[in-house]
Amino acid sequence: MRRSDLGEFEEVVLLAVAVLVPKAYSVMIAEELERETGQTVSTGAVHAALQRLEQKGYVTSVMGEATAERGGRRKRLFTVSALGGRVLTEVRSVRNRLWERIVPPTLLEWS
Amino acid sequence: MRNPNHPKPPRWADRLLSWLVAPHLREEVLGDLHERYQLRVQRLGVAKARQRYWRDSLAYVRPAFIKRKPSEYPNPTHSAMIRNHFLIAFRNLMGGKSFSIINIGGLAVGMAGAALIALWLQNESSFDKFHEHQDRLYQVYGLTNPVGGTPYAIPETSQPLAPALKQNYPEVEAVTRIKDIDKFLVRVDGQSFTGIQGAFADPSFLHMFSFPLVAGPKNGQLTTISSIVITEKLARKLFGTTDALNKTIRLDSVDHFVVTGILKDLPPNTRFTFEYLLPWEYLKKLGTGWSNEDWLSNNTPTFVLLKPNTNQAAFDAKIKDLTQRYSGRRDVWTHFLFPLRQWHLYADFENGKPVGGRIETVRVFGLIAAFILLIACINFMNLSTARSEKRAKEIGVRKVAGAGRGSLIGQFITEAFLTACLAGAIALLLVQLALPSFDTLISTQLAIPYQNFSFWLWAVGFVVLTSLLAGSYPAFYLSSFQPIGIFTKQFKKSQLGLSPRKILVVLQFTFAIVLVIATIIVRDQILYAQERDKGYANSNLIHVNFVGDIEKNYSPIKRELIRSGAAVSVTKTMTDLTNESWRTWGLRWPGENPKDTNTAITLFSSDADLVKTAGMTLIEGRDIDSYQYPADSFSVVLNETAVKLMGFRNPIGQTISNRDRSITWRVVGVVKDYIVGSPYEKIPPIVIEGPGAWFNTMHIKFNPANSTADNLAKAEPIFKKYNPAYPFDFQFVDQEYARKFDHEQRTKTLAGLFAALAIFISCLGLFGLASFVAEQRTKEIGVRKVLGASVFNLWRLLSKDFVILVIIAFGIATPVAYYFLHTWLQKYEYRTEISWWIFAVSGAGALVITLLTVSFQSIKAALMNPVKSLRSE
Repeated sequence: MRRSDLGEFEEVVLLAVAVLVPKAYSVMIAEELERETGQTVSTGAVHAALQRLEQKGYVTSVMGEATAERGGRRKRLFTVSALGGRVLTEVRSVRNRLWERIVPPTLLEWS
Repeated sequence: MRNPNHPKPPRWADRLLSWLVAPHLREEVLGDLHERYQLRVQRLGVAKARQRYWRDSLAYVRPAFIKRKPSEYPNPTHSAMIRNHFLIAFRNLMGGKSFSIINIGGLAVGMAGAALIALWLQNESSFDKFHEHQDRLYQVYGLTNPVGGTPYAIPETSQPLAPALKQNYPEVEAVTRIKDIDKFLVRVDGQSFTGIQGAFADPSFLHMFSFPLVAGPKNGQLTTISSIVITEKLARKLFGTTDALNKTIRLDSVDHFVVTGILKDLPPNTRFTFEYLLPWEYLKKLGTGWSNEDWLSNNTPTFVLLKPNTNQAAFDAKIKDLTQRYSGRRDVWTHFLFPLRQWHLYADFENGKPVGGRIETVRVFGLIAAFILLIACINFMNLSTARSEKRAKEIGVRKVAGAGRGSLIGQFITEAFLTACLAGAIALLLVQLALPSFDTLISTQLAIPYQNFSFWLWAVGFVVLTSLLAGSYPAFYLSSFQPIGIFTKQFKKSQLGLSPRKILVVLQFTFAIVLVIATIIVRDQILYAQERDKGYANSNLIHVNFVGDIEKNYSPIKRELIRSGAAVSVTKTMTDLTNESWRTWGLRWPGENPKDTNTAITLFSSDADLVKTAGMTLIEGRDIDSYQYPADSFSVVLNETAVKLMGFRNPIGQTISNRDRSITWRVVGVVKDYIVGSPYEKIPPIVIEGPGAWFNTMHIKFNPANSTADNLAKAEPIFKKYNPAYPFDFQFVDQEYARKFDHEQRTKTLAGLFAALAIFISCLGLFGLASFVAEQRTKEIGVRKVLGASVFNLWRLLSKDFVILVIIAFGIATPVAYYFLHTWLQKYEYRTEISWWIFAVSGAGALVITLLTVSFQSIKAALMNPVKSLRSE
């Protein structure tokens, strides 16, 4: 799997979807990422990433229910597809393998 | 609604996004933003939330959100439908190849015929319209108005009239005289040319008329007496190059001229025919016989350019009595101006009033063009509706599938348009191919103006009009079918009785038969006039114009011609015999009636032997012979009509005098009427003067014992001897006489051509129609054959309908043709009768052609094996 298929932000968003399912939609994901990273994340960026992920087949979406805060508008709910799950696993295993090969003394500590 | 729990996000941001974000994403995007806004309001307060809202909104300004989603359904646009129309139309054309060929071929031939006529009409109506000042140019006419006589318009004026006009009337911007001349021998470097058409003109001529110069200055042309302006064509002929400025030309071996200007070749659509222009000053220098300052001699066309905004009627009133004032006589002609726009098409005068002219021919042929096109369109309509049976199911299915009437009409119009386009392309090709022979036929130079934008506009308009005309009927007729009727085959009933198709066939054949009848009657009229007794014998007769020294050496030439055995008789005359010659008014005779003295009398002259040379018949008295009777200088011979006019009971010995009785002639003989001028007109009274008159030509009766070539071979050295500077140039009188029929011959050929075209197109349509009917009735024919019908029975069954239609067409065509041709014949004084056999022949002819056309199909159908026809389906 080529690295370029999944950008870093996309990867994070995809993970967030996996975490938040079945209530994964742009607002929730953006809020979640803000909380986790402490940085401002706009729904626009998340939404764009989700669109790309959907195009690649890593997530699927359905329209959800409408709420008053949304001015009566429906939300788009995302779920990770099987392909998306496999990509996540692969990415994770790559990282894990790399992590495991780091010799403990060379592990750079940030302090 | 301002709820404190639900403060609204910035409205402008929402507006921006609703406009920017693709419709299918709008809901979720705005929903997300609003939800987040509410969250932030709770967390950070309204102000911060609004600020963030703006920033978040801007995050959506990216292509992924702005790009509109392509529709998941095919979106049939108008062009797709039109493409479908074209596809179906193309398939239909390919599906019935023979039909398409008949259809397109008929339409193409019709269009080509109409286009040829249109080109000719365009040429006719464009005559002299290219002059820059065309709306201010006029020709000065004279109008005789004798007491008790009939007024007569004269297209020429006296020579001093032009300067007088310019001098006395401030309304006149310029004036020019132009006098044609073709007698000069043109010599360049030892080479000589005869018969080149030239003209004398005033210097203003080239300013008034837009004949552009390609070399030489525009100003100052024709001012110096020894200058000449020639066309490029003549320059090439004389010098072999158009670079002929300042070269020298010799005329008649007397005078030298320097080329000061080269004119672009005259366009074919002008009345002027000169190849070179000489200054009017030179005409004056030539003196007597050329220059004529007499106000009472009308011999020169005069043209006037009026200043802008001059009222012609008011000006006419001012110049009315010009000649009367200058000549000091009240009993001569008045004047009026004849505007350029009427010169070519409205130049016929009757009783001094314009009565049309070529415009009638133009109108008739315009009508013919329209009808030819109409016939071709009718074919198209007929064949299309005939095919409706085949197409009916298709239309039914289309209608059931939801096609609206408009869409069906669109389809049929498209089909018509495609056919018309193909036909138009073929027609253009046909016109291009036929143009050279058409040009010779009507003796003009027509060309397809490919570079002309408006030509293409017309061509496209023509095709569109044709397709609308040809496609409208099938489009509206076929699209009106009810689907339920189509499938239960009820719509066939509408074709019984008076179907539009039958009316169209009748119309077509009516027109074709009218044209055939017209052709026969025109031919009849020509034959009738050709067989008319000329009153003289023109075989073996030539005339030689007096050029160079011929007139001076007339006597020795005559003597030697007779001595050599080439000629049996020679006479010199005023003009050639076929020419209309000179007319005069106001001769006086004893017992005259004032009304009769104002009748135009034709003048002719002879020195001796006219009766013998021309083979005229002497009724009383003797021929003029100035050699035997010296007093014959003032003798005259009359023709019968003149005797009748003058009311002489014993014409011999009577005296005739001119208007002021200064000259008196004695009548010595009477000849039988002979034709001068048009062979269709009444023979005018003719007075043949003795040698007291003037002479321009000589007639020679060749020795009938020798061949013409021998006689010419003997005559030529004699002329060479006495007139060495000029080539021996002569005309056969019988050929010149035959030329009088040119116009009518042309009318006949054209009428015949278009009659043939009309018949051809009509038959093409009939052929298609017959084949269709035969195809339609295949089963019926099969059943009939099985039941014992003979081929003849079946042939009669299938042909009957068409024959009835043609008979009806004939019934309509007869009175129509009679009316039109009776009117046409009225303009000829000497005319044939319209006899019944003409109608019988054309009717029978039309019937035979119809039967032949139809029989091919009906016999084919009748011969078919019923086993085959009944098995199908």
